[in-house]
Amino acid sequence: MKFGAVTLPDVSVPEWVRGRSSPKLLVGLGLGWLTLFFIAPVIVLFVESLNFGGGDLFANYRDALSGVYLETLGRTLYYALITTVVCLVLGYTIAYFIAFKAKRQFAMLALVLLPLWIAIIIRYFGVSLFFLPTGPVQQLFGTDFGVLFTTRGVVIGLVSALLPFAILPMYNSIQSIDDELIYASEVLGATPLYTLRTVIIPLSLSGVVAAALFVYILAAGSYLAPALLGGPADFMMANVIEQSFTYDLDLAATMSVVFTVTLLILIGLFNHYANISEVLSDL
Amino acid sequence: MLEVKNLTKYYDDLLAVDDVSFRIEEGEFATLLGPSGCGKSTTLHMIAGLVEATSGTVHLRGNDVSDTEPYNRNIGLVFQHSALFPHMTVKENLRYGLKMQEFDGDHDDQIAKYLEMVQMTDHADHKPGELSGGQQRRISFARALVYEPDILLLDEPLTGLDRVLREEMRNEIREIQQEVDVTTLSVTHDQSEALSMSDKVIVMNEGRKEQAGAPQELYEEPETQFVAEFLGQSTKFEGKVAANDPPMVRASNQEIQLASDIDTDRLDGDSLSLYVRPEKINISTAEKANGTSNTFVGTVSHVEYLGHRAELEVTLDDETTVTAFGNATEEYAVGDEIAVQFDPEGVTIV
Amino acid sequence: MMNRLRRLSFYPVLLVVYAILLVPVVVVIATSFTVQSSPTLPTNGVTLEWYNTLFQNFRLRNAMVVSVIVATATAILSGIIGTITAFGFVRSDIRAKETLATIMLLPLMISPVITGVAFLRFSSHLSIPRGLPRIVIAHSVLALPFVFLIVRSRLLTFDERLEDASMALGANKWETTVNVTIPIIGPALLAGMLMGFVISFGEFTATQFLITPQTTTVPIIIFNQIQTGLSPEVSALATTLVAVMIIVSVIGDRLG
Repeated sequence: MKFGAVTLPDVSVPEWVRGRSSPKLLVGLGLGWLTLFFIAPVIVLFVESLNFGGGDLFANYRDALSGVYLETLGRTLYYALITTVVCLVLGYTIAYFIAFKAKRQFAMLALVLLPLWIAIIIRYFGVSLFFLPTGPVQQLFGTDFGVLFTTRGVVIGLVSALLPFAILPMYNSIQSIDDELIYASEVLGATPLYTLRTVIIPLSLSGVVAAALFVYILAAGSYLAPALLGGPADFMMANVIEQSFTYDLDLAATMSVVFTVTLLILIGLFNHYANISEVLSDL
Repeated sequence: MLEVKNLTKYYDDLLAVDDVSFRIEEGEFATLLGPSGCGKSTTLHMIAGLVEATSGTVHLRGNDVSDTEPYNRNIGLVFQHSALFPHMTVKENLRYGLKMQEFDGDHDDQIAKYLEMVQMTDHADHKPGELSGGQQRRISFARALVYEPDILLLDEPLTGLDRVLREEMRNEIREIQQEVDVTTLSVTHDQSEALSMSDKVIVMNEGRKEQAGAPQELYEEPETQFVAEFLGQSTKFEGKVAANDPPMVRASNQEIQLASDIDTDRLDGDSLSLYVRPEKINISTAEKANGTSNTFVGTVSHVEYLGHRAELEVTLDDETTVTAFGNATEEYAVGDEIAVQFDPEGVTIV
Repeated sequence: MMNRLRRLSFYPVLLVVYAILLVPVVVVIATSFTVQSSPTLPTNGVTLEWYNTLFQNFRLRNAMVVSVIVATATAILSGIIGTITAFGFVRSDIRAKETLATIMLLPLMISPVITGVAFLRFSSHLSIPRGLPRIVIAHSVLALPFVFLIVRSRLLTFDERLEDASMALGANKWETTVNVTIPIIGPALLAGMLMGFVISFGEFTATQFLITPQTTTVPIIIFNQIQTGLSPEVSALATTLVAVMIIVSVIGDRLG
């Protein structure tokens, strides 16, 4: 058997591997790995949330869906919503600019991608440093504008971290609109704003949907943003789950289920209005 | 020598290749000719082993290779878009086959020899991306031949090249093929390419083999309507048998006399298709037309000046269109009355 | 004129967005050089003393080593699994392909906290050794979707006729894959592994459940330092992290 410049003796590829490397098996490798180390653990966790042996199967859920925890769930979904809306608006503007008006698209895109290479924790750290008493904002203005350790801080942090995830898919879909469609619209007499509304936005919708999906899911599941930039009143589901893990495993498991199921329901609803698998396949 | 027997390919319910059989002798240059979708590429791919036949056999030099993998068939294949390995240099592309086939003989010598043959010696260390389309095509030939395969398969080798390049390469391919003396099967939809380059042409249509033979044979003596109409141009008359001795057919409100050795009793009396090639048609003014056999008078409906000749379309009373060639120096105008005449020997019946 | 005005109207938004994106990192890097004892902008002068302290901190050096080892292992592991799986998906005829492909993306949709908690419990059940093995496996799961997406996307645009050419030339399927397919999709493969490295290197949320006192990663240390007391040393540590990631990207770029 020859590999490039090297000729290996024919024993090097064992028969059992050669005979069994059909595509189905290859797929099985990745799915198998995930099933074993991801799906199974999660399912086990979910099972643990059910109160077997204690009579009431859903005993834990009563606790999980009450008072503080329910509030936290609501807060989480709400923060994620704000973050998503802000990211979509800002992100679309940037994506539009880069696609249509920028002279150096590559450089501008690279600057958007750059933060992705840097660990999220560092970016949150930077946001907090920015607004700390020792940071430039307070040094310059004397106040932190009510950002540190408040809701604003969390949202600013989330937006900062997740903007690239919004910009990229939206840029992608705006970019792929056929230039000729834009020209046609202009020639027919439409103002840029009208073209934007009636041609560009509808045609780039799949990118917007993808962006919304990514940002919402990532924002909702965020642990570090509330931990580093928020106050105790800003804790989101991820923080609560982590906290309860140390003293009440069942609660942690239950809340994990509640959170995941809620998210899945939301995604399902979303799917109803905007076919997600189409969107994902456009990627 | 290649022998294909009853080769058939179904894609689910779609019959792509329908019971095709033919044979090519050692050293012959044969072409599978047909319109898009006729199954010629699929047939080639089955011969190469890249597509599995539904039924039928392929024999190469006497060996049944129907179940052999492509990498064990010792074939050379030139792809429609060259398919050169972009990450390797020209030399490495050529070396690849030599290594994989474990070619007996000095690899460097072979590479040099074949690069020389396609006149690309200077580009040995370039990558395919640095070469023009024509140059890439040359390299893909060298790559296919360098390990001296049993047969050379060409998948639309001249498609995508501009006309000048195409004619250059046509000659070069033929020269190389004869120098190397390798059995070759080419696939194309371009008839002038097929007729000019091949020793043998196999015409295909809708998955079936229509006719196989030397180019001249196919052109002069088409055996099916499709071949008669696909190759070259001709005028088609539809008529009925009128008499037997001398053999006459009634078409376009006149009687056409056929070659004396044709026995009209054997033909399907009621609907016959007659074909006459334009080069067999003589044109003259209506007055000059005398009582010679097979003279029709009609009106010029279309003139195309091609430089070396004029192509005319003449419409007869019954709307039949006759295609004929005229002198480039004469002036023909649409609407002129003109007479077309042809000898009985020039009529082909299918 | 109108066009110029229109462009101008974008600038404020551009400024805000790029500021939001880039200022945080700039601040971190800048504060690592300050002469003051808390992380401020180095308006009074620059110094490398914090890097010095960092370098002498034994625990931190350890964490750095651990992070690099884990990230490299994750890159390789997720690279191999992701690529093989991508091949399977692109070259096969499985009916539920789209659904199965979505399953590959599940780790993205479930909060890393849940993944971390679940994996911790599960790995105790399975007696997976603490420390490095657990962290690497968990990271590989988190990185897998990215590698899979990137390689699969590249395979979909790969011209399969190059493989036909290779087979006509005498190479069997394995030889073809190794000599033709992999080298050509190499850059995508590398990009996927790079992603895996970066994701692993910066991972905190799931990792916090899986570390041991002996095996801890840099993001964990950064987090703890932030909670306990802020000094420019943390900025220096963070900046070092950034530097590593940039170096790795450059290396990856050169290799590709």
